[in-house]
Amino acid sequence: MKRMEFRNTYIGNITIAVKSLFTGMRVTLREFFTRKITEQYPENRKTLHIPERHRARLVMPHDENGNNKCIACGLCQQTCPNGTISITTRTVTDEESGKSRKVLAEYRYDLGACMFCQLCVNVCPKNAIEFSNEFENAVFDRSRLIIKLNK
Amino acid sequence: MEITFIDIKEFRQTMLQHRENGMDFMREMIGMDWNKEGLGAIYILENSSTHECVELAVRTANREKPQIPTVSDIWHIAELYEREVYDFYGIEFTGHPDMRRLYLRNDWVGHPLRKDYDPSEAINPIRLESETDEEAHRVYEIEEDKHLAEMVEKLKILHYDQYVINIGPQHPATHGVLRFRLSLEGEEVRKVDIRCGYIHRGIEKLCESKTYPQTLAFTDRLDYLSAHQNRHALCMCIENAMGLEVTERVQYIRTIMDELQRIDSHLLMFSCLAMDMGAITSFIYGFREREKVLDIMEEVTGGRLIQNYNIIGGVQADITPGFASKVKAYCADQKKRLKEYYDIFVNNVIFRNRSIGVGVLSLKDAISFGATGGTGRASGWACDVRKRHPYAMYGKVDFKEILHTGGDSYCRLLVRLEEIVESIGIIEQLIDNIPEGEYKTKTKPIIKLPEGRFFAAVEGSRGEFGVFIESHGDKTPYRMKFRPMGLPLIAAAQKIMKGCKIADLITIGASLDYVIPDIDR
Amino acid sequence: MLDFTTITTAIDRFLHSALPDWAATLTECALVAVCVIAAYLVFAIVMIFMERKVCAAFQCRLGPTRVGFWGVLQVFADVFKMLIKEIIEIKDSDRILYNLAPFLVIMSSLITFSCLPFAEGLQVLDFNIGVFFIMAASSFGILGILLAGWSSSNKFSMIGAMRSGGQMISYELSMGLCILTLVVLSGTMQISEIVETQTRGWFIIRGHIPAIIAFIIYIIAGNAETNRAPFDLPEAESELTAGFHTEYSGMGFGLFYVAEFMNMFIISGIASTLFLGGWAPLYIPGLEGFNEAMCWIPGIVWFLGKTFFVIWLMMWIRWTFPRMRIDQVLVLEWKYLVPIGLLNLLIMTICVVMGWTF
Repeated sequence: MKRMEFRNTYIGNITIAVKSLFTGMRVTLREFFTRKITEQYPENRKTLHIPERHRARLVMPHDENGNNKCIACGLCQQTCPNGTISITTRTVTDEESGKSRKVLAEYRYDLGACMFCQLCVNVCPKNAIEFSNEFENAVFDRSRLIIKLNK
Repeated sequence: MEITFIDIKEFRQTMLQHRENGMDFMREMIGMDWNKEGLGAIYILENSSTHECVELAVRTANREKPQIPTVSDIWHIAELYEREVYDFYGIEFTGHPDMRRLYLRNDWVGHPLRKDYDPSEAINPIRLESETDEEAHRVYEIEEDKHLAEMVEKLKILHYDQYVINIGPQHPATHGVLRFRLSLEGEEVRKVDIRCGYIHRGIEKLCESKTYPQTLAFTDRLDYLSAHQNRHALCMCIENAMGLEVTERVQYIRTIMDELQRIDSHLLMFSCLAMDMGAITSFIYGFREREKVLDIMEEVTGGRLIQNYNIIGGVQADITPGFASKVKAYCADQKKRLKEYYDIFVNNVIFRNRSIGVGVLSLKDAISFGATGGTGRASGWACDVRKRHPYAMYGKVDFKEILHTGGDSYCRLLVRLEEIVESIGIIEQLIDNIPEGEYKTKTKPIIKLPEGRFFAAVEGSRGEFGVFIESHGDKTPYRMKFRPMGLPLIAAAQKIMKGCKIADLITIGASLDYVIPDIDR
Repeated sequence: MLDFTTITTAIDRFLHSALPDWAATLTECALVAVCVIAAYLVFAIVMIFMERKVCAAFQCRLGPTRVGFWGVLQVFADVFKMLIKEIIEIKDSDRILYNLAPFLVIMSSLITFSCLPFAEGLQVLDFNIGVFFIMAASSFGILGILLAGWSSSNKFSMIGAMRSGGQMISYELSMGLCILTLVVLSGTMQISEIVETQTRGWFIIRGHIPAIIAFIIYIIAGNAETNRAPFDLPEAESELTAGFHTEYSGMGFGLFYVAEFMNMFIISGIASTLFLGGWAPLYIPGLEGFNEAMCWIPGIVWFLGKTFFVIWLMMWIRWTFPRMRIDQVLVLEWKYLVPIGLLNLLIMTICVVMGWTF
């Protein structure tokens, strides 16, 4: 009997079917004895690898004296598509020169509304803000997602 | 893009003429509101064999009761496209068999994409009661004396004596919030009525008020499984309009990332098809490898699903130093794993019996419905944008366009799995030769496009993804339209699901591989 | 070998000496019922935990690991969760039938469960047409499923119930044929005797080819009877959300869930009884020392070992294959399994008549 004909016979059908089923079962059986890939998340915090570029939340780095680089220009606030950032400024007068300039009073960031598009970071002329890797941001109350970034 | 305006009286004649001249694929239909010049639509037609395109437009000055003759009998897909335009612009297409809203609720007041639309909440408050389904198709006809007039005909969509069930909007197998209303006879599906819009976010309307860089973030949220390609299309469209050349390095990176995204999407398609058919183990095997793709992408872009990688003029950040080696290791592994998928699922007799000859989409229908991507190629339609209108590096790399002729669920899966191999091939050709250069070209802080209309298309994970921009020279687009990859697919689904069993309906849905946020936008 | 008859007789004698006859019988009934239900629940818990772990292993996962060491308390947590869930009353449902359905299912599987011979003398129901009784008792569970689908006033449930009706009634046929094949080989329908005869070699070995074919068909039909993949269409979660038990919450669902698992245990138990010798130890003719040693392993260990092996086999099948379609399920039964089963019965009869068995 030719192969093609055998395929179409009653017995041929059964043989091919059973063979394909056993092939499948062989794959799962092999997997049964293979090392598993599950990651035990909260326990493996120490070994967990979070890529450096991962965007978890916006932060404003401060140096050791507690100063940030923000000049309160408001570009980030302007460029944000969702109105996530709101900046309040106050005016201080420089004692020496007598000139007055705007400084940052409060930098409020709404993590709950942020869509991590990175436009604010891209537009910042002083690199005062950046995205950090702290991804465990779950809270029980929405209001706690509104974060003051400057110290 | 140069468009030709057709007089409304000659419109149907001209369209029929174009169809006869071989323009069998309606690439895109864009509803437009040109303020004083009236409401209308832009049609992009393509000859599926010569890939020659024409751009046509029609408009009517009547803002109170705008009516345009339908072309839904010429191109199947126009049926849903016209419903979308009706929904957003209120243009009634005379002769259309089913002029209902497509996305918004039946009781919505006004047509939101019109420029004179009033979005105040007093008109459309947040409604807490459920929407009632429309029971009949609505049809507008041209009367004998050639005056356009409304004629509402009562054509029942589904009858009460039928066994009607709802698949969705919350259903495990619709992969999102899509709703099929089915009328059944035993296990057999008699009629399918598709309701979209449960995740409609009005992205196109939103884009009209956002600057160009701000619109980029939305594309990742359309079809989240072709986030890269979507954003690539939009960036490309804006760059073309600005006349901005991106460096070769950027082209390489974009191409590689597009292909990685395609592998990711196809793996997910395999997995979800398996899961919808009850083979949960195969699902997890697919996801095991998909995880590796996502890891690679996260390393480079910082995101797994929403990647934000392409920006106007380049990419967000240069590739990481270990990128090439990781990708190569992954590619080598994936090829081995594919064999496993065939063993456990694809060649399995149960799957073969359930998918071969099920949900056959003929070549003619595939083109008429505009079902591009893997679905179209499974029906034998060479519809790959990468071959039709090469962009980025695709003109220079060597890859095969996978074509099958069965048009059934089985072929649709095979096309995807074989495309994974092709994608790996493309990546392997490029990964070692990424040229040095800038990873982004500096742009002005405020991007303004010159006046005009622009269209760019890429091959997304499940079909042609196009971006249309009409600019009036501002920093925000006047109109931005995304060609959905999924809408033609569900339009085709509506047809091929008829007469199959409920179980097949799920298989067909999964094998068409639509993503709802892309349909609903 | 440990014989449980001595223990049961001792208890019986003690009760009869302490109590009047009627009270003794009543107490015995109560005792047996408590034992059966306790064993039923213990096995259900073991099975659910096993399913989760085995399934995970096939899917390159670890399964539950959080509750208790290695996740052993997971099932208890699940049961607790299910107990504190609200029992929802469905609008327009048939209250009485709706509430009755899960009990029908569980009753059927409990009665069948009590027919299993766990070890020599450790069997609740044993009489001359035991096999026949098992078939009858296990087949009225389908009523519960049909009623559940019918009374839920849910179209998905209805379709699920109709599917399961068609499927389970069909597959009972080939299941019956397989059992009949073995009855031909053993010459008795009494379960204890069937096992007894297998102390001199298991039927799957003694009946060679026809017995092996019967075993394979039995496993397929058993999978179908328990509504497990590739035959899980009555509940096909991706099509019918949860099929016939869509509308059940809390313990109503819990009962269906437990019954499904226990049906698998029962099917495997019957398979091990009929084909693999039940509590009978491995017997190889000619190796007297070996056979002696095998006899030192208690019968209950043999029985459970074999049963759990068959269960593992069924889990392996379940976690490998995609789901079939209803018409294909019926085609498989009526065009393949029934004819093959009938032919197999004929072959077995010929073998037995001609003395071609071991």
